Amino acid sequence: MIRRLSIFGILLFFAVLVFGQGNLIIYGWSDYIPAEVIEAFSQEYGINVTYDTYDSNETMFAKIKAGARGYDLAMPSADYTSIMIKEDMLIPIDKSLVPNLANIDPDVVEQMYYDPENTYSIPYMVGTTGIAVNANFVEVYPRSWKIFELTQFQGMMTLLDDMREVFGAALKYLGYSVNSTDPDELQEAKNLILKWKDNIAKFDNELFAKGIISGEFWVVHGYGENIFYEATEEELKNIDFFIPWEGSTMWIDSFVILKGATNLENAHLFINYILRPDVAAEVSDYLLLPSPNVPARELIKEEPVYSAEDLENTELIKDLGEDLRIYNTLWNEIRFGL
Amino acid sequence: MKSKRDLAGFLLSMPGVLWLTVFFLIPYLIIILYSFLTSGIYGGVELPFTFEAYTRMLGNVGYWQILWKTVWISMISTVICLGIGLPTAYFIATSKKSNVFLTLVIVPFWTNFLVRIFGWMVILGRNGVINSFLQLLGLAEPLALMYTPGAVILVIVYMYLPYMILPLYSAIEKFDFRLVEAAMDLGATRTEAILKVLLPSIKGGIIAGIILVFIPALGSYAIPDLVGGTNGAMLGNLIARQLTVARNWPSSSAISMIFLLISTLGLLFYMRINKVQSKRRLTIRESYMREEEI
Repeated sequence: MIRRLSIFGILLFFAVLVFGQGNLIIYGWSDYIPAEVIEAFSQEYGINVTYDTYDSNETMFAKIKAGARGYDLAMPSADYTSIMIKEDMLIPIDKSLVPNLANIDPDVVEQMYYDPENTYSIPYMVGTTGIAVNANFVEVYPRSWKIFELTQFQGMMTLLDDMREVFGAALKYLGYSVNSTDPDELQEAKNLILKWKDNIAKFDNELFAKGIISGEFWVVHGYGENIFYEATEEELKNIDFFIPWEGSTMWIDSFVILKGATNLENAHLFINYILRPDVAAEVSDYLLLPSPNVPARELIKEEPVYSAEDLENTELIKDLGEDLRIYNTLWNEIRFGL
Repeated sequence: MKSKRDLAGFLLSMPGVLWLTVFFLIPYLIIILYSFLTSGIYGGVELPFTFEAYTRMLGNVGYWQILWKTVWISMISTVICLGIGLPTAYFIATSKKSNVFLTLVIVPFWTNFLVRIFGWMVILGRNGVINSFLQLLGLAEPLALMYTPGAVILVIVYMYLPYMILPLYSAIEKFDFRLVEAAMDLGATRTEAILKVLLPSIKGGIIAGIILVFIPALGSYAIPDLVGGTNGAMLGNLIARQLTVARNWPSSSAISMIFLLISTLGLLFYMRINKVQSKRRLTIRESYMREEEI
């Protein structure tokens, strides 16, 4: 009995050790916030951070919508931030606790039509989706979405398993808006995607970065930062990441505080910490993305793969509300033949 | 006295009943309810009640194709598992070191399920173990082994083979091999003895193995997701897709109900066969007893 009590005592001691200093539970994209940054935050404030990951907005949204509790912060893209605001799933941010918000580029905030006052969301990163090519295997290629039509790369390519991204790519290639709701334009995009589908190995959100680096895939549609996060400098030399000349989709990923969050104060602390110029610069150096944080741009050591100006040819993915049903129907036909 | 025992039995069964109610029955009732509701734009469910999720599914050839593909892949995998599992279990049961071999069958379970799938991806990949070896032998083009239905079946067979071997082993282990000898003494060939004496008496093990492989194979999600190609989706992937990307919870629930229906039919089949078998065993025992009485 005494032994059992002492074990209980030890467990209690550890519990206090782990939970005593305060917690923060983040539900974020995989390979997105560098582990070093989280570790440094943890050290500085003595807060125990748990970072749980998802690989698509849809997964995150479905889980939260279905009632998952316990997460403090999430990082939805623009369209899902807008949905989560409409669906009343977020807690307003106390801006007095986030003074570093002033560092964010006003041009970025201007894009956030769904939350112009940053009432619910604070931007983390802004970027675009592009194509990466492994130059070890592919020498001549068009810097265009057309690359997915080329039969010589058949079975060596992947497209994102993301409805809006793939439709966005096809719509841009056809010269339409990535937020088109015109049934004819979408039908045309669908036919194009079906053509691409015959050429790709799979629709993939998880393995394209590892795959392009290892040579498992030669051409992948994806987020540059996932690839740069994964690759060594040596490996990066062979990888060409570009924004197709027809343009691409733009995304803004923001921190939001979820309803049911229990560590409100720590959540604000973390957001403010990420917006600190030195931290934002470190994040940019890891992801090789341009920083939305103005003072951080002076501190960045690595050359980002594309600049904030390159984003001019890209278009933000917006929530389309009821019209999304057309996308759903067409996407189901593409992915499942339904 | 009797009522006291009844009460004890009732109390003892309560944890199990409670468990099944909270973690099986109630969730399923929720799924049934959701499958008859209308889908909200951003997920979730709304009134009114409707059959739409079912009518749309039943009226769409695509669903039937995926359903058929799922059943087909699961059936092939089960048959291959049986083909490999039967001789393996026979070997283990008749071996002197059966404990060692049994442990070896269980060893893969010590590694995480996903890690083992990734292991196969390393083996089958374009720059994987098999292709590197073939290149050494001078094969020009690497084979496209991954992202094919074959890869999906291979990994399913690998994952669920132990579930086939273990029940087969326990059935064969109990089998009295003198019966085979007796059959052969009475003029049966070895093959006949195995087919007509051994197989019928381990039928329970075979069916248990089939069910234990077939039903989880039907529910495959991670395997087709990771090693399947552009048309690799199975029922499990479709359920997840309807829930997340399409944000159509009723449709997702309706497909789950179809899934439940198929696996229930499988289990009912199993229970029926088991019942027939135990009844037969009972009549044999009764006839023995009668003989003894005489």
